[in-house]
Amino acid sequence: MSIWNYVVTAHKPTNVTHSCVGNFTGPQEVNLIVAKCTRIEIHLLTTQGLQPMLDVPIYGRIATLELIRPHGETQDLLFIATERYKFCVLQWDPENVEVITRSMGDVSDRIGRPTDNGQIGIVDPDCRLIGLHLYDGLFKVIPFDNKGQLKEAFNIRLEELQVLDIKFLYGCPKPTIVVLYQDNKDARHVKTYEVSMKDKDFIEGPWSQNNLDNGAELLIPVPPPLCGVLIIGEETIVYCSASAFKAIPIRPSITRAYGRVDADGSRYLLGDHNGLLHLLVITHEKEKVTGLKIELLGETSVASSISYLDNAVVFVGSSYGDSQLIKLNLQADAKGSYVEVIERYVNLGPIVDFCVVDLERQGQGQVVTCSGAYKDGSLRIVRNGIGINEQASVELQGIKGMWSLRSATDDPHDTFLVVSFISETRILAMNLEDELEETEIEGFCSDAQTLFCHDAIYDQLVQVTSNSVRLVSSTSRELRNEWFSPAGYSINVATANSTQILLATGGGHLVYLEIGDGVLTEAKHAQLEYDISCLDINPIGDNPNYSQLAAVGMWTDISVRIFSLPDLNLITKELLGGEIISRSVLLCSFEGISYLLCALGDGHLLNFVLNTSNGELADRKKVSLGTQPITLRTFSSKNTTHVFAASDRPTVIYSSNKKLLYSNVNLKEVSHMCPFNSAAFPDSLAIAKEGELTIGTIDEIQKLHIRSIPLGEHARRICHQEQTQTFAICSLKYNQSSAEETEMHFIRLLDDQTFDFKSTYPLDQFECGCSILSCSFSDDNIVYYCVGTAYVMPEENEPTKGRILVFAVEDGKLQLIAEKETKGAVYSLNAFNGKLLAAINQKIQLYKWMLRDDGSRELQSECGHHGHILALYVQTRGDFIVVGDLMKSISLLIYKHEEGAIEERARDYNANWMSAVEILDDDVYLGAENNFNLFTVRKNSEGATDEERGRLEVVGEYHLGEFVNRFRHGSLVMRLPDSDVGQIPTVIFGTVNGVIGVIASLPHEQYVFLEKLQMNLRKVIKGVGALSHEQWRSFYNEKKTADARNFVDGDLIESFLDLSRKRMDEISKAMSVPVEELMKRVEELTRLH
Amino acid sequence: MWKEIREREFGKLRPNLFTSSVSKHRLSSIQLSNSKEIISSHRASINSLQVDLTEGRYLLAGASDATVAVYDVQRASDYEGGGLIAKHKSVLLINKQHEHGHKYPVSSAIWYPIDTGLFITGSYDHHINVWDTNTTQVVMNFKMPGKVYRTAMSSLARSHMLIAAGTEDVQVRLCDIASGAFSHTLSGHRDGVMSLEWSTSSEWVLITGGCDGAIRFWDIRRAGCFRVLDQSHSQFGRRPPLLVRPSTNKKSSSAGQSSCAKVRAPHKKLNGNALKSQVKTAKQRLHPGMISSLDRATGHYGVITGLKVTDDGMYLLSAGSDSRLRLWDIESGCNTLVNFETTRLQSSKSIQMALSQDSALAFVPCMTTAKAFDMWSGQTRWTFRGHYENINCCWYNALDQELYTAGNDRQILVWSPSKLNFDEVDEWRNGQAAVTDQDNWSD
Repeated sequence: MSIWNYVVTAHKPTNVTHSCVGNFTGPQEVNLIVAKCTRIEIHLLTTQGLQPMLDVPIYGRIATLELIRPHGETQDLLFIATERYKFCVLQWDPENVEVITRSMGDVSDRIGRPTDNGQIGIVDPDCRLIGLHLYDGLFKVIPFDNKGQLKEAFNIRLEELQVLDIKFLYGCPKPTIVVLYQDNKDARHVKTYEVSMKDKDFIEGPWSQNNLDNGAELLIPVPPPLCGVLIIGEETIVYCSASAFKAIPIRPSITRAYGRVDADGSRYLLGDHNGLLHLLVITHEKEKVTGLKIELLGETSVASSISYLDNAVVFVGSSYGDSQLIKLNLQADAKGSYVEVIERYVNLGPIVDFCVVDLERQGQGQVVTCSGAYKDGSLRIVRNGIGINEQASVELQGIKGMWSLRSATDDPHDTFLVVSFISETRILAMNLEDELEETEIEGFCSDAQTLFCHDAIYDQLVQVTSNSVRLVSSTSRELRNEWFSPAGYSINVATANSTQILLATGGGHLVYLEIGDGVLTEAKHAQLEYDISCLDINPIGDNPNYSQLAAVGMWTDISVRIFSLPDLNLITKELLGGEIISRSVLLCSFEGISYLLCALGDGHLLNFVLNTSNGELADRKKVSLGTQPITLRTFSSKNTTHVFAASDRPTVIYSSNKKLLYSNVNLKEVSHMCPFNSAAFPDSLAIAKEGELTIGTIDEIQKLHIRSIPLGEHARRICHQEQTQTFAICSLKYNQSSAEETEMHFIRLLDDQTFDFKSTYPLDQFECGCSILSCSFSDDNIVYYCVGTAYVMPEENEPTKGRILVFAVEDGKLQLIAEKETKGAVYSLNAFNGKLLAAINQKIQLYKWMLRDDGSRELQSECGHHGHILALYVQTRGDFIVVGDLMKSISLLIYKHEEGAIEERARDYNANWMSAVEILDDDVYLGAENNFNLFTVRKNSEGATDEERGRLEVVGEYHLGEFVNRFRHGSLVMRLPDSDVGQIPTVIFGTVNGVIGVIASLPHEQYVFLEKLQMNLRKVIKGVGALSHEQWRSFYNEKKTADARNFVDGDLIESFLDLSRKRMDEISKAMSVPVEELMKRVEELTRLH
Repeated sequence: MWKEIREREFGKLRPNLFTSSVSKHRLSSIQLSNSKEIISSHRASINSLQVDLTEGRYLLAGASDATVAVYDVQRASDYEGGGLIAKHKSVLLINKQHEHGHKYPVSSAIWYPIDTGLFITGSYDHHINVWDTNTTQVVMNFKMPGKVYRTAMSSLARSHMLIAAGTEDVQVRLCDIASGAFSHTLSGHRDGVMSLEWSTSSEWVLITGGCDGAIRFWDIRRAGCFRVLDQSHSQFGRRPPLLVRPSTNKKSSSAGQSSCAKVRAPHKKLNGNALKSQVKTAKQRLHPGMISSLDRATGHYGVITGLKVTDDGMYLLSAGSDSRLRLWDIESGCNTLVNFETTRLQSSKSIQMALSQDSALAFVPCMTTAKAFDMWSGQTRWTFRGHYENINCCWYNALDQELYTAGNDRQILVWSPSKLNFDEVDEWRNGQAAVTDQDNWSD
């Protein structure tokens, strides 16, 4: 790999951090706005449910998301503040369906220390001002003027240091805040302050309340007529106002989110850390609060935000599990729950660990993540490409073509499956037992290869063989008419739709037939100069049964031509260039745009935008799908038409945002495919591959596919063992039955296909699994699982004892072979020169695997290295050891065989608090740190002085905006040996927000090109809220901010493909590179993930 | 820490809270280090300590024997005890024999804040030298009118390269590295200036503490000092008192408000507006000081021996020869009345105080011990006992959570979070002791 890296998101963040409901897109429209850390999604509430309207990236981590309605506005505006002290106010632009920036600014200060407890941003309910708590001891006020514009901000000194929450109170003549804070004796209180705009200072507020619940962490302001505030604690809920104080005890729980149900604020939904949803009711007589009531409604995902939409439908956003759309029923179900989950939105976050495996052994990586936390913990299998879920299969060799036919024109289901072989045609049909059985259609010619089959109008079927076209009744199955090819010419290729047949015979004859009731009419004949390689008359116009255009691929001049039907006039001729003829052409239409797809014999695909009125071809693009000839077929799934390209790398072509996308199908080699929508196998495909015929359904058409394996417990570490086809995980289960919450930790063995628990090894009390590794040792053929643990004693701050456990998998069970006690937590384990390298607290320790006299094995310590604060993350390569320290960045150690010692070779002296490290190549190491940055360092072996050699030079810096927990070498996509991207080494990372990203090391020339493209894109693509991309990607920590270097943002680069042609031209001009070339290079890159 | 690492991993613990709670936790176990030793190269009392601000790696020390030394605190020069005990010898030493070396005690040695290529020393020989670190040559020299007590550079400055110097003379001079000349002379103090600090929130604001007991604030873009702190001018707590809430009952408002206004009048002077009104008056007057009574205000009785601004730029800690520490709210200029439990502070020399990263703790040399005071209660959290004579200077290395102290006993002691390999180090030390014991026996 290299120091020039391309960072791109393969799976967007899914952790819902904020959500709110309001009238954003129109005065009468109800919107749900969801923030997923660095993205916002705008949904419209319709009778059918939530309809997505916009999903845009934000150049910042969202700290505050609030809907505001300044005076004089008829609909809401969106206020967003980011963690890097930028804010913006957004407004909906219905014409262009996008957000526009009303105002934006910077609220950072030189003065003050950033708060540890998280930034707070609140809006006065009467929209007089926005309040921000960003620095300890300061409260920033951004006032609105009478016209609803923001005025200059000012700071007010805040006495309280440890602020837990601040809210504006409703119904106050002057803006009044209520502050929940902790004093230096850890007691919690609330205080109110009025904001005096004139004095730019606080005035003592109307009331305060001391000594609240020790776990009080959340304030809920109550709207008029009741006003006041609810203080949610761990054991009590308190209602407080100037005149009233009501409290109720609750079952101990930590409330993480709330949602207001009624506009009058008498009912609230509360979500706790166990995912329990409660309804809190303020009972009142007119405006006087008489008490509080709380009721358990049921269980949801652990909520991070709750938004009540309408009609008892609630959006539950989650950070630790899937987000949900739930309905609250009036009646409890059998389990006593009022909650009914209507929809789930997949969330991979937090990805605590993952491994890259190739379970299907197809050379394509899959990522198996440890996702979620608490009860929502799960494993997720993430793979690129579309899966086929096999329903049935038969062994059949030598399939040359397949078509499905209906028994009647108006039958919604297919009945027959025509399978063609080199010298015969067989017909399969579903029998009464829903089995596929061979049958016969009398009118069909069964002892010749079928070239094409299709349903035709008037309950007829068409079969084309090399010497004739047969028209057969689908009810009586008898031959009704037959058209013979002219003597001496056999039919080479043919195509048909319900009313038309087009065929080509040798000698360049093109014959057009029309289908009548029991009649085939030769409507037109044309003589072309060369032989014809492929044809298509798929109807793409208004009439679904009749095509106005025919696409024809030619030999010799290697062209594709468009003819008009029925008169067979040549409209367009497009030379393909090169020496490879087209093997399959297809006319199709996606999202209202018509395309001509043309597949070549070498696995390339050309696509053109087709103007259906004049037959012109435009926007030629070429992509490589495989290495073998491709056959194109349309099929539909979920009422949308897609194209299946059968080849050695089967691909589904679909369209999203009016852009063609290509997604791999997770099958090895497919020679033919046809849709087969039978009653028994609805929406299925029949697929011919490697000597078998498979019937299966296809996954949802999207790029990444995620399968969830709910565990009901929190998995923290995972590793795969290929030899035993198992996964091992370290997991923990929270036990809430007793008064005190306890945890139980396990090592579990899972089957790598079914993901069933095969074996479980419970750890001791207080013992936690910290690291896991599958490895083998020198002089021993067995592959082991090694597990590092820590004993976490309640009274100790840092574990002083741990174990390394060595397991073998025998008969599908974990068998403990050896154990070794350690003097601390085993944070990391690595296989190292046939030995085991462990990171134990601040020490790196190497163990040998020794054979004892009695034949048993044991771990024996060989050597170690001190000098870290905590060696948390370790990677090895050869004799080199790269350590990511708790707070001292990256250091490089070397193992010296002769001396049997580990020595420090070099170190990065920056104070980075690490979260993950990886070795890119011998000299370059990659790190992720606590402030959401990535950086690379390089070993300087040629340095002139000891000092230079002992220093890892920082060569790349980038703000990712995501907390990375793990890097792993590997790839999510199949590497095609012939494509350029096939050679690019990649690293995958997983983050707390559920992002899966790819870092690709580029050749220098390409990097320079992309950096220039990125610079040009920054000028054309403006960030939402006018936030700057350059600033967003700049390396940022408490000490410094530095421009990103040697990393380029793939997400920005790839958004080039979404630009309008005009803007693409603009960039092409600035780059002085043709648009075609730019598109090709960027499209190549999209195939990295 | 284990728990914190786990909670950070799944997003329960915010990364910045993680770092601050880990740092705080580590700081809470700080003690005389058993695994890190700095081998002092000085033969007289050490007056100044500073770790560079870029990498947190090089500790610069200046001593009364006119020596200046740099120690690499990250990378040990050698190890003892099988890699357990790191020894840090000086990587650079300048003494009287050096051709440009100082002749008399070095009172102040500071790094150029932008990189470690330069450092600045001030000496009783009336000179301030600017050194090139790599060549150990003096690249610039400023002749001062008297003994140099303290020098300071702004870590924020992006538009100037000024060394502020406090000397025996009543005037504070700003030496410009860019031009090699004095750029400013700040007059106001009535005696020498023992301590000075740049603001941590504005690169233009300098704070000086004189032997006349005055603490003065200067905006170097304007003439004259814009504030003198007054120990009698006080507020209780972190901010000036809140404005009194006008009577909520509107019917009786007319009477209520007028009475309120009277009450509020004195408050107004105390709160933040005071600063602005003073600046305004300053503009109007020819001599932009203050009215003479204010100009004569004192921060301490006696000499101001030490100043330290908190990192957030909001508060100033001062030490005086009256053995008091005072914490000032910079915006209002008020003494916050925090009662620090000091017993005695050195009065003859300036002292160098340090603050923890979150400014919750102040490390103050108190004669032979250094004490950690809680900033807001003034209580003594810990007392560091290890030096045999008076301590002159403290430096807190926030990157490693280490405290360095040095004083008249010529030692630089390292106070660091207790390591977990304590047992091993102790075992080794005991082993060593046993060996020496044996030797003694054989003698």
